[in-house]
Amino acid sequence: MTLETSKTDALNAPAPRRGLSDFQIRFLRSRNAMIGSIIVAFVAIVALLAPWITPHDPTKVSIMATWLPPGADHLLGTDALGRDVLSRLIMGARVSLTVALSVLAITMTFGTLLGMVAAWYRGHVDNVLMRFVDIIFAFPELIIAIIVAAAMGPGTFTVIVALALVWWPGIARMARALVLSLREEPFVEAGIACGTPTWRIMWRHLLPNIVSPMIVRASLGVGMIIMAEATMSFLGIGVQEPYPTWGGMIRDGLPNLRTDPHLALSASVALGITMIGFNLLGDGLRDVLDPKSRGR
Amino acid sequence: MLHYATRRLLGLTLVWAVALIVTFFAVRAVPGDPIMVMLSDHAGDAALEARLRADYGLDRPLPVQFLAYIGDVLNGTFGLSYRYVGSTVIDVIRDGMTITPLLALSALFIAVPLGLFFGVFAAVRAGSWADTGIILLLVTFISIPSFALAALLVWMLSLKLALLPVAGWGSPAQLVLPVTVLVVGPMAVIARLTRTYMLEVLDRDFVRTARAKGVRENRVIWRHALGNTMVPIVTSIGLIFGGLLSGAFVVETVFNIPGLGRIAIDSVLARDYPVTMSIVLLFTVFYSLINLCVDLIYAWLDPRIRFDEAAA
Repeated sequence: MTLETSKTDALNAPAPRRGLSDFQIRFLRSRNAMIGSIIVAFVAIVALLAPWITPHDPTKVSIMATWLPPGADHLLGTDALGRDVLSRLIMGARVSLTVALSVLAITMTFGTLLGMVAAWYRGHVDNVLMRFVDIIFAFPELIIAIIVAAAMGPGTFTVIVALALVWWPGIARMARALVLSLREEPFVEAGIACGTPTWRIMWRHLLPNIVSPMIVRASLGVGMIIMAEATMSFLGIGVQEPYPTWGGMIRDGLPNLRTDPHLALSASVALGITMIGFNLLGDGLRDVLDPKSRGR
Repeated sequence: MLHYATRRLLGLTLVWAVALIVTFFAVRAVPGDPIMVMLSDHAGDAALEARLRADYGLDRPLPVQFLAYIGDVLNGTFGLSYRYVGSTVIDVIRDGMTITPLLALSALFIAVPLGLFFGVFAAVRAGSWADTGIILLLVTFISIPSFALAALLVWMLSLKLALLPVAGWGSPAQLVLPVTVLVVGPMAVIARLTRTYMLEVLDRDFVRTARAKGVRENRVIWRHALGNTMVPIVTSIGLIFGGLLSGAFVVETVFNIPGLGRIAIDSVLARDYPVTMSIVLLFTVFYSLINLCVDLIYAWLDPRIRFDEAAA
């Protein structure tokens, strides 16, 4: 979109409906954000309803029905243990999202807290925390995941710990930057002048002001967390059997690609489309939030 | 410049020290006794147990073990493997040590020029159908996980069309798919960055000036405009390289390539912790050196960086 068309669009646009913010209007106009949010919403609904909509029990082994090709009874066929692939895909969405949201909850809590403390006290506290953040950034994320997997053994809890460890520094940096600029604001100075306890300033005055930008930007990371979880599960150091994961299904399907491609291919397509959804939503949100990059 | 480089080198040694400490304790924090696993059937043989414990240095106090570990790293043996009793870690990983850097670096050297080219190509045609097509393709390339892409490519090119070998290592044909899978993501990231920065730069006064003095359009785009986008693009290459190293784990697993990534994963699953941690150490050193190079190039491209640092 060129500058000219965006200007005329803005002029011709009907007066905003009551109740819609500028942000919501721009979001609804962004094609990327809309397509992305439709895909993400679909995956989220599937994950939420997974136990009720799987056509078969995703963990039920059936040695009489291994490697069935896609057909009427099993829409996407069965795997090496005769488990229904479609049911495992649906359940896999739930596993992935559960891991991603757990990681997000943990890192948002600790990252925000540590970032706020660093920005509030500055000086030595800030220095020590930020050097620590720098050191974590100096390791490639999969390397951290491998150290954790080696020390704790593969498993769902390992994935959550490893990804939380990789993820909190970014959140802490963001919270720190937001609080650093906020603490110069008059309402914070007023709070200090009135003798409000520090924890109360943080909880009642700073937190509400940083929470919405933090949530928006952190949610952009959900896609990357899902990708990291899938990679760990693919490598065999992530979520373990009998829980179905897309990464694990691709790993199981690869050796049989020649004779029974349906397992690896359906999981690859599901993961690929989900990632495209998250990335489109992320790009769209970034465009909407940062007017400078709009139209690009 | 020298001052800046020295400061960065000091920062590196801190990261390496942390990596040494973390890998040392990670091996020892693991539950279970590696010696008992090695003994398995001979669990009652106290003499053998004592000998193995002495060989592995596990009968000594922790600080002594740590010094011995540093010694092993410095003399290049990296200690003894748990899985291959009696062999040093370096014997287990030696063959892989050339493979992974070769894969990662060749992918980088292909991804950077391709990414720059597509980024510029899309930017000068901003808004056209070609631009839209490239953007869609780039989002897909960035989104699709490497192992999913690998599965699709192997199925299509190797199995359906029988053009390339499915897996393995050694012949040039066996290099094509792994390198392609590694290149796609970083190439797309670079292309997208290039496009964004090019669009910004193409609006600037110096580009208009260059055109006004009659510089040929090709030269305006590739020299005047692209030259001024290099600083932010070079900085992102460090991050991209981290992605390539992670990609190597996946690609080596998919294509059965005996590189460091696959050895690392195999040894996590086989509980051969000394091998895993030595590879972690090597990757960290390699990654930090690449980042150092990136920072030095960055400082060299943009004098403001090194002077700010020197003044601080």
